Amino acid sequence: MSSESAVTGARRASGWALLVSELSVLFRRRRTNALLLALAAIPILIAVALRLSSSGPRAGRGPPFLDQVAQNGLFVGVTALVVAIPLFLPLTVGVVAGDTIAGEASHGTLRYLLVAPAGRARLLAVKYIGAAAFCVVAVLVVVVTGTLVGAALFPVGPVTLLSGDTIPVGEAFARFLAIAGYVTVSLLGLSAIGLFFSTLTDVPVGAMAATITFSVATQILGALPQLEGLHPWLFSHYWLAFADLLRQPISWESFGDNALLQVGYIALFGALALGRFLTRDVLS
Amino acid sequence: MPAVVVPAVIVVGAVIAPLQASAVIVLPEKTPEELLEFASSSEVRALSGTIEQNSRLGLPDLSGVTGSPGGSEGADIASTLELVTGSHTARVYLNGPTNARIQVLDQLAERNIVRSGGDVWFYDSEDRTASHATLPAGAEAPRVQTPERLADRFLASIDQTTEVTVGTNAQVAGRPAYQLVLTPLDDDTLVASVTIAIDSETGLAVGVEILASGGTAPAFALAFTELSLATPDAGLFAFTPPPGTTVTELTEAETREEPTDRPGKSSHSVSGEGWSSILEIPASEVPSEFAASPLLASASQEVSGGRLLSTALVNVLVTDDGRLLLGSVTADRLQDAAAGL
Repeated sequence: MSSESAVTGARRASGWALLVSELSVLFRRRRTNALLLALAAIPILIAVALRLSSSGPRAGRGPPFLDQVAQNGLFVGVTALVVAIPLFLPLTVGVVAGDTIAGEASHGTLRYLLVAPAGRARLLAVKYIGAAAFCVVAVLVVVVTGTLVGAALFPVGPVTLLSGDTIPVGEAFARFLAIAGYVTVSLLGLSAIGLFFSTLTDVPVGAMAATITFSVATQILGALPQLEGLHPWLFSHYWLAFADLLRQPISWESFGDNALLQVGYIALFGALALGRFLTRDVLS
Repeated sequence: MPAVVVPAVIVVGAVIAPLQASAVIVLPEKTPEELLEFASSSEVRALSGTIEQNSRLGLPDLSGVTGSPGGSEGADIASTLELVTGSHTARVYLNGPTNARIQVLDQLAERNIVRSGGDVWFYDSEDRTASHATLPAGAEAPRVQTPERLADRFLASIDQTTEVTVGTNAQVAGRPAYQLVLTPLDDDTLVASVTIAIDSETGLAVGVEILASGGTAPAFALAFTELSLATPDAGLFAFTPPPGTTVTELTEAETREEPTDRPGKSSHSVSGEGWSSILEIPASEVPSEFAASPLLASASQEVSGGRLLSTALVNVLVTDDGRLLLGSVTADRLQDAAAGL
């Protein structure tokens, strides 16, 4: 009995150690930093281009919120998110999530990880938490860089919401953070899909490409009006509904719907990944 | 194991959850007469809620036409049509007869109508324009379709050609509701039935569904998905245009609604009765931008005697001599009426 609980304790401790090392390896990796830099470049490019152009954008042209930037720099972050959500964010998430298991396998380090007494299920959980942590950081990088660059290059003032109401800067920050949370949650389903693809192969590029392709294909399906019945089931369905947090009063409904949908995807693809990973022969 | 069990659980959950929502709802029984009386005695003055509109009128997709550079008049017609035909979600806040706010929730954008006393503001977040109008005292609020207003129109038009029955009870916006079914006894109309959901507590009409003949899913549905009868925050009705907005002041003439669908005015004539009545507008009164709009050309088809715009619920015929005939009847009936038969 006591030896059994000792083993469980050792596994748990080993799981925590694994998580700490996973996170430090992930965020020290040059590729991760390059991805985050690329994401930070989006708001910087938008802000600098707008600052340099003599004529401001006309209302209703270009990405949403773009015309607001010249009057209020705080909108740079939101505009950058709108631009990054369809492709750039899924791209970076696909790279990180697709690499989780397949990357270790291709380096030949997977079996050493499994030698640690954490167990395969814990290793998978640790890998997923690592990918989720990247989602948090990636979205924050876009929003925070955007806000800082916008504040540096443009005037900052009370923020006009979609409903036409105006809120003070402090409340606006809180709402932007809520939006960052919303977009992070939106990406968790895709991370689980990437994790599953990563357990299928020893070639990380294959898993990354599959994840990104899946994301693009899903968004194409979401754009076809003929498939309307399918749309609420697509993980990208609520991606742009983060704008509900910019209405007055705030509508939390899409936040809840989105979270529920993503939990469904995490459960489904997490289970598939677990089923695959527990029974897989690890040879490398 | 988990690879099989979890997907199975999710699928079962996704299938069963909607089934449970449609469980039988028991309410004290009412006859159609009692229900009509109950609906007309409704005294809801303040509410906030979310309305969803779905229409499957069988019109060709208009989104491509909406963006075409056809001048502002064409765009106006297109955006009106888009509001009627598309699927939309709107939030509605009402407090008394003179305070109202309607927010049409678009993706990454919003259209607002705010009325506070005699002041009416329209605000569009997409092009960031606001317009302001001052209503003369006692004027009607801007026409915004809520389930209640639409239901009132149907209830007001009940006559001997309509059979009124009570349908199975339903759950609308999480509240038990009676359903009143109006069935036209007229074979010529395109409307198979109109179902009006009436809140069991207050008598407020909370949903309207129109079924077209030959259809199984409603061709048009307008219903609350969320409803609270608490008085909304007064701040919602106070609107100041945000800085950087182009503000247009509307004159009184522009504020007044054109009664296009109300017969009896000017030289519009109505033939037929009840559900299958046909409205005829003489060529001189058909707005020229409508007849010439590329929208009409792309959405309608050539028939003998003119161009026919056909939807599941309404047929519109523009004759070769420029008259416009409109009715919830079959195309043949319209053509007969155009020919004076």
